[in-house]
Amino acid sequence: MNSNQLLRTRGLGKSFPGQRALIDVDLDLHSGEIVAVVGQNGSGKSTLVKALTGIHDPDPGSRIEVRSASGDWLHGAATRAEIHVIHQDLGLIPMLNTVENLNLARAVGSRGWLPTSPRRERQAAKSLIRRFSGDFDVNAPIEKLTPGERSIVAIARALSNWPRPDQVLLLDEPTAALHGDEAARLFEAITRVAEQGAGVIFISHRLDEVLDLAHRVVALRGGRVVADVPTSELNRGKLIELIAGKSLASLDTGNRNLGAPTLEARAIRGGEVDGVSLTVHAGEIVGVAGILGSGREHLCGLLFGSTPRSAGSVLVQGKNLPASPRRAVSRGVGFVPSDRHADGAIMTMPARENLTLPSLRQLRGRLGNLRANAERREATLWANRVELDPPDPERTLELFSGGNQQKVVLAKWLRNQPVVLLLDEPTQGVDVGAKAAIYQLVIDAAAAGSAVVVSSSDSAELAELCDRVVVLRGGRIAAEVQRNELSEARLVTESLEAEISHPTTQPAEDAEEAPYVH
Amino acid sequence: MLLRTLSFRNISAIYILIALVAIYSLWVPDTFLTASVWRSMLDNSALVAIVAVGLVLPLAAGAFDLAVGAEVGLGAIVVAWLLTEQGLGPAQAVVLTLVAGAAVGAFTGILITVANIDSFIASLGMSSVVLAAIAWLSDSQQILNLGEGFQDFATGQLFGFTHPVWLALVVGLIVWYVLERTPVGRRIYATGGNLNAARLAGVRTSLILVGALAACGAIAGFAGALASSRLATGDPTIGPAYLLPAYAAAFLGSTQFRSGRYNVAGTLVAVFVLAVGVKGLQLGGAPVWIPDLFNGMALLLAVGMARTQRRARQARAARGVRRHEVKDE
Repeated sequence: MNSNQLLRTRGLGKSFPGQRALIDVDLDLHSGEIVAVVGQNGSGKSTLVKALTGIHDPDPGSRIEVRSASGDWLHGAATRAEIHVIHQDLGLIPMLNTVENLNLARAVGSRGWLPTSPRRERQAAKSLIRRFSGDFDVNAPIEKLTPGERSIVAIARALSNWPRPDQVLLLDEPTAALHGDEAARLFEAITRVAEQGAGVIFISHRLDEVLDLAHRVVALRGGRVVADVPTSELNRGKLIELIAGKSLASLDTGNRNLGAPTLEARAIRGGEVDGVSLTVHAGEIVGVAGILGSGREHLCGLLFGSTPRSAGSVLVQGKNLPASPRRAVSRGVGFVPSDRHADGAIMTMPARENLTLPSLRQLRGRLGNLRANAERREATLWANRVELDPPDPERTLELFSGGNQQKVVLAKWLRNQPVVLLLDEPTQGVDVGAKAAIYQLVIDAAAAGSAVVVSSSDSAELAELCDRVVVLRGGRIAAEVQRNELSEARLVTESLEAEISHPTTQPAEDAEEAPYVH
Repeated sequence: MLLRTLSFRNISAIYILIALVAIYSLWVPDTFLTASVWRSMLDNSALVAIVAVGLVLPLAAGAFDLAVGAEVGLGAIVVAWLLTEQGLGPAQAVVLTLVAGAAVGAFTGILITVANIDSFIASLGMSSVVLAAIAWLSDSQQILNLGEGFQDFATGQLFGFTHPVWLALVVGLIVWYVLERTPVGRRIYATGGNLNAARLAGVRTSLILVGALAACGAIAGFAGALASSRLATGDPTIGPAYLLPAYAAAFLGSTQFRSGRYNVAGTLVAVFVLAVGVKGLQLGGAPVWIPDLFNGMALLLAVGMARTQRRARQARAARGVRRHEVKDE
């Protein structure tokens, strides 16, 4: 086997202040082999991709080596040219067609300013696409192609300028946006590449494709390789166990009494959500789990009214809530969006101004002015209450760490004792210390009577924080797990169940908008 | 705190002003240091100051209003047309002019928020439409005989300064109060800072944008009316000349006092700095194209400065954050 080994890492580590994202990772890849890397969010998968592709510099002492054409081991910056990556977003330009996208990657300047031959380019593109069993119009702009066809273009582009067949191809969640049958076409292309001698590493959340496609599975947990086993020795149960690990010690969620039903969703649709009904009581924390494309990412926005609803209604304290963020805010609904930079906060403003923005009316003086002293007092009060670090509310928000920014985003809603609190990925990009503080704030809010919805891709977080968790699949609630049966492994199993039972069935409706509906 | 307030980074324009005054005082002392020169300089820059202060509103809300020059021109012609063709009194004519300017601004705002056209393009298109309206109303001719009473409006004096100087101060004070001291001002800055986040915090961002552009249109129209009053003529060609100086002042102003925010105080200081700079060069015998060169250079320099300041802040942010940050998935 050693003769055709393409890639090896030894003692690969990557530390960030306060956290070691990768610890002593030894990874081998041979010609013709397909290796799947699995793990939960935060297990180090992305860091591994970034370390291999040179986006992150690995810690001193780490070795990443790639076999060159002449059979020598290359290391350092030289490896980057030898590892071909396809990122989740594919990196194609939507308005250009296949031919143009394929030629973007070509070395520029070889033919200088001489005109190109459109006919020959088209022919070349066609034959290239066909090698990956693609058969579509190479003159159509990329945005008109299906996600599966797009991924074939991306792979063809990555491979079209390989000098030799035995190189390393790295795919970062290549099927996240694909339907079952499209994923199958992509797998065909990947298998072909491997048969020609390439070594393929692919990162994936989907168990069935891992089991079908990979020769070997590497599982990461907490930045360490916890398993490196041939697929033949695995089944679904074992795989879930590898990914989830043992459940963590539970947080003290306090004794909370459930009050009246406060938030009711009745058959709401919109985005990837396809008819969800949900009731959340005052004092209750309800989690929403589900893989990418299950509708999980859209549910909070739909409840809040920032994502347009195509059907259904939302009731807050028994009264209908129209789909408008302003109305929602005035009725006491708070929303912490998943993308803090784009939607959650105004990074160029001080923490104080972010904190008071949703309810400036309370601070209005007699002349229609803003009572500056009262505002400053309140900002200081909340900075202390959420343990803002540094505790300076006048500091521009972008100067705080991610965790402290998130504390401010949360505090701006907590300030008014929200009736309903909607949290979408509340601890994304948040360090461990701030995570615990944020959990405590959420639990305190629930104890004070808020109805809380937490949507998260982190099963550990949901298992720790929630009274019950609804699991979404294909835009609908597929399962509901109560507190006493709540565990990470259970959530992982429920989220992925659809993959196991019927991996490739696919309704025709909504195929364009919802890339992952079953 | 005091050091930071007085630092070059924070109030560079004040230091530049001091330097300019010092240089010109040595270079052309017998003309530059006379009260009449300063008085006329203030009077001349008052209209630009009013337009620039108005412009701060849409800029703070995150919208470019490239129609602001055309709106000045519209104000100048509409007030003259109302006084002569319609025979209205000065007060009614000025009020209706404000309404016309506000309508143009509001319509630009609707194009931006409802039709979803980028503010740059929407206001550029509107400026051409407004220029056409000006030509149509005036037949591209000057409108004369606006009446004695109306001329006093801009040429009259109070405590040694002409009315426009005082009016610029009043407009500045009102806009300053709204932006810096009221919830509305906070919402305007929030909308400009991050439209999505502001909307999700319950701010009516569309209303804020339309309102800011309408207010800017009204203020620009007011400046136009003052211009007609000063010239005793409705001149259909004066508008576009206000665009660049107003932007130069607003951008230069954004680098002052409030670390990157468009603000009224900075803008007023910037207008004054630019006026002093141009005036001194003119007194020193510089050719007629100097104001254009000076304002253009100032605009580029101001934008360059704003970018550099922002990058420096971000670098500081990165340094400060790295202590805590955890990067993964």
